[in-house]
Amino acid sequence: MALFENSYRPYEGGLTPEWARFLVLPRYALRDVFGSKFFTAVFCLCFIYPLVSAILVYLRHNSNAIAIMQIDVRELLPIGASFFQFFVEVQGWLAFILTVLVGPVLVSRDLTNNALPLYLCRPFSRAEYVLGKMTVLVILLSLVTWAPGLLLFLLQAYLEGAGWFASNAWMAGAIFVGSMTWIVLLSLLALAISAWVRWRVVAGAALLGMFFIPSALGGVVNQLFFTRMGNLISPAALMGSIWRGLFGHFRREVGSYEDAWGRGFVEVVIREPPLWASWLVVALICLACLWLLSRKVRAYEVIK
Amino acid sequence: MTTRTTNAERMIVFEGVSKFYGEILGVNRINLAIAPGITSLVGPNGSGKTTLMNLMTGLLRPTRGTISVLGTSPHDPEKLFRKVGYCSQFDSFPPGMTGREFIEFYLSVHGYTRGEVRDLTQAALERVSMQDAAGRKVAGYSKGMRQRIRLAQSLAHNPSVLILDEPLNGLDPMARAEIIRLFQSLAAEGLYLVISSHILHEVDMMSDSVVLMHNGYVVAEGDVHGVRGEIEEHPMQILVRCDRPQVLAARLFEHEHTIEARIHDDRRGLFVRTRRPDDFYLLLNRLVTENNLKVESVAPADDDLNAVYQYLIVSEGGRVS
Amino acid sequence: MNPVIELNGLSVTFGRRAILKDLSGTVKGRAVGLLGPNGAGKTTLIHTLLGFHPPSSGTVRIFGEDIATNARRLRAEVGYMPERDSFIAKMSCVRFVRLMAELCGIPSEAALERAHEALFYVGLGEARYRSVDTYSLGMKQLAKLAQAIVHGPRLLILDEPTNGLDPPTRARMIRLIQEIRDSGRARILLSSHLLRDVEECCDEILVLKDGRIAANCNLDEERKANRKFIELETRGGDRTAFAEAIGGLGCEYALAGERRIKLVMQDGVEIDDLYRLAYERQVQIRRLNYKRDSLEDIFLKAMEGDENGAARGGEGHGLI
Repeated sequence: MALFENSYRPYEGGLTPEWARFLVLPRYALRDVFGSKFFTAVFCLCFIYPLVSAILVYLRHNSNAIAIMQIDVRELLPIGASFFQFFVEVQGWLAFILTVLVGPVLVSRDLTNNALPLYLCRPFSRAEYVLGKMTVLVILLSLVTWAPGLLLFLLQAYLEGAGWFASNAWMAGAIFVGSMTWIVLLSLLALAISAWVRWRVVAGAALLGMFFIPSALGGVVNQLFFTRMGNLISPAALMGSIWRGLFGHFRREVGSYEDAWGRGFVEVVIREPPLWASWLVVALICLACLWLLSRKVRAYEVIK
Repeated sequence: MTTRTTNAERMIVFEGVSKFYGEILGVNRINLAIAPGITSLVGPNGSGKTTLMNLMTGLLRPTRGTISVLGTSPHDPEKLFRKVGYCSQFDSFPPGMTGREFIEFYLSVHGYTRGEVRDLTQAALERVSMQDAAGRKVAGYSKGMRQRIRLAQSLAHNPSVLILDEPLNGLDPMARAEIIRLFQSLAAEGLYLVISSHILHEVDMMSDSVVLMHNGYVVAEGDVHGVRGEIEEHPMQILVRCDRPQVLAARLFEHEHTIEARIHDDRRGLFVRTRRPDDFYLLLNRLVTENNLKVESVAPADDDLNAVYQYLIVSEGGRVS
Repeated sequence: MNPVIELNGLSVTFGRRAILKDLSGTVKGRAVGLLGPNGAGKTTLIHTLLGFHPPSSGTVRIFGEDIATNARRLRAEVGYMPERDSFIAKMSCVRFVRLMAELCGIPSEAALERAHEALFYVGLGEARYRSVDTYSLGMKQLAKLAQAIVHGPRLLILDEPTNGLDPPTRARMIRLIQEIRDSGRARILLSSHLLRDVEECCDEILVLKDGRIAANCNLDEERKANRKFIELETRGGDRTAFAEAIGGLGCEYALAGERRIKLVMQDGVEIDDLYRLAYERQVQIRRLNYKRDSLEDIFLKAMEGDENGAARGGEGHGLI
């Protein structure tokens, strides 16, 4: 009979490719995330609108169904840029809800439990750590934004024919870019807040606050000064501009006020900030988040 | 058990004390009388050491029984904390304070005047050698420095009783030696020090008396060497390193007090178990001389706290999971 | 033995504070103890060895490779057990160790196998399926050790591994460290304030003070040297008379405490002679050993060496 010794031995097998190491984090995190029944339920609810949209697209092309249901074709919205833009906007807000549920604990738990040295003492860099955590959100949010969006687009193209597809292919790009921009902005904000705020509830509130408070402030500024420059501080308004831009609905002039102050009528033309300004501010916010993350994601804290 | 016959006013006394947290056992039927000097509390985590300390300082009320600290009940914190200083195992501080402010703050609660507070603080800082660093913020201290500041705070008001939970945690070897010397000098002044620790050889070296706890009971109490002699189920084990252990073994077996002799793996030593250590050692003198054995070293293999711990706690309670 | 760590003028400065100052030396032992007072730079040295920040000047090589250029590859060969509580929350221990293994590049199923192996080796039984949040301090330390060894590194860096452990768990941790050392497949760097731990596990020590190396010596060699000093502990009979008789043989002696005698052996005097005297006087020699420079003496000398060049040995100043 042979006796087997269990002693300390080195690992002598093959290794996984270096570039793919960061994917270990989303693999583990996603399994944990879907372990929560509440989250899974909310996640499933996010597919209701895509389903409804798919039915609408189908209905537009199925005359039998229309006839049976006695719907007036002219009352159905045309499937075009507005349709997809609205889709991106709705799913974008659902993505925000998912982020508030998942985002706050991604980094804060590791910081509270001093897990960073354990990650970083391995052949694993800070960048890979941030990338890995971001990928968790990117995967989740992609599944509810541009993935069903593109599928919807393809359904429409299939039903309408090659001609429609050729002239509207740019919309696929708009769906993807619009959603991804939002995803990247959301993820970085969520990670940055998670890195700086330890308590889950407060971090969630901070994320909500990041959107609603500047929106409110921006709104106040807009009203007071007859302008739309207040939109520059509100991530929601910034994204709105960007989406409109991508889908070809961007108008700088948004209206005019008649200033009736007893000196006669003066027209004040109200313009939105130019599109490039919105993109710039979004990019700056992302960079700021990356900088904040680099301050906090380290193997040790330096106390001055 | 060693007997204490001094006056109850001059002891810390536990009489039939039990503490339960709901159904969970803290400590059960403790009877102790602690005399001046260094008394160490030893035992695994969860054995009741912290509960005992909390009972002594009045942070907990016993479910049954009475406690008296130099004649004062722990339910009377006004009087108790004039005599008692306490240093917990937790490393937390109010934010934003310097070391000096930390001590001064708590001293002022005692009701000393400004001048007294300053002098007492300075004296306490000097006792723990922190007078130079006292002006810096505690947040910037190393672990060892934080430990020292907390010690200073607990003894600043010159208490008669010091209750210290793992006071050497985080201290480097020189600081450990220094603080142990401090404890010994305080004990020489007549203070009662109750110290809990996991580092058995330090406890062995510095304590006048040891209290071993396990599962909420006091399992043994007294001077280590005295306790060891009383554990009769375990005959003394001695390691003799010499050139011909087999000769020694053969000669030893001729005597009935030798229970076991086992040759060491390297064949240059002999583990002996004997029922009567005094007889064994005198016999050893004779055997070495008669047989011309070259002895390299002789050491009791278990006359220390580690062995007592093994016998009373580990083997009784089973392996720690 | 080939060197583990080679320091060459290594300096590390944070802002304006120089933490490590021009460290040079070679560390070759199977298990090396890293000692020094708080603030001496031990943690910074460990962080530098792990590549957490680059040296400000000078180089440090691990197994011959420069950490500044090969940090990523070297980290695959190094395992680290931090001093502070470190774990990933809301994860069972198996999952945690498996994640750590996968981050080192071990494929998923192999990582699961090795996680279980590592946990078995450190002795965490059924508890491995529970979340690490629920562990006692001792179990957390064992979990930290498991994640440090799961990828079979060639160098293990252990920072205060017995911190807060009760005696049986500490004994078990020490045994594990000794086993790993003896297996010959990994070298160990052990940083500890407890000289006893270092004495039991290490064969070489590196002492830091104020950011410089105060001592770097091989304990085995120190232990083999010096067979002239002997310490006895006696009981029974007349100790003083016995000691005087020893003096009569020509040995210097000193009484210490209530039971101890320290003496310096002279040429021509053997331990047999001591026993003969003990037999004649019916004195029990309860304890007898050569007093070598123990770790505490080496450490003290290193601490005081800078100040007055001379060493203080002997009494042991209350250190263990």
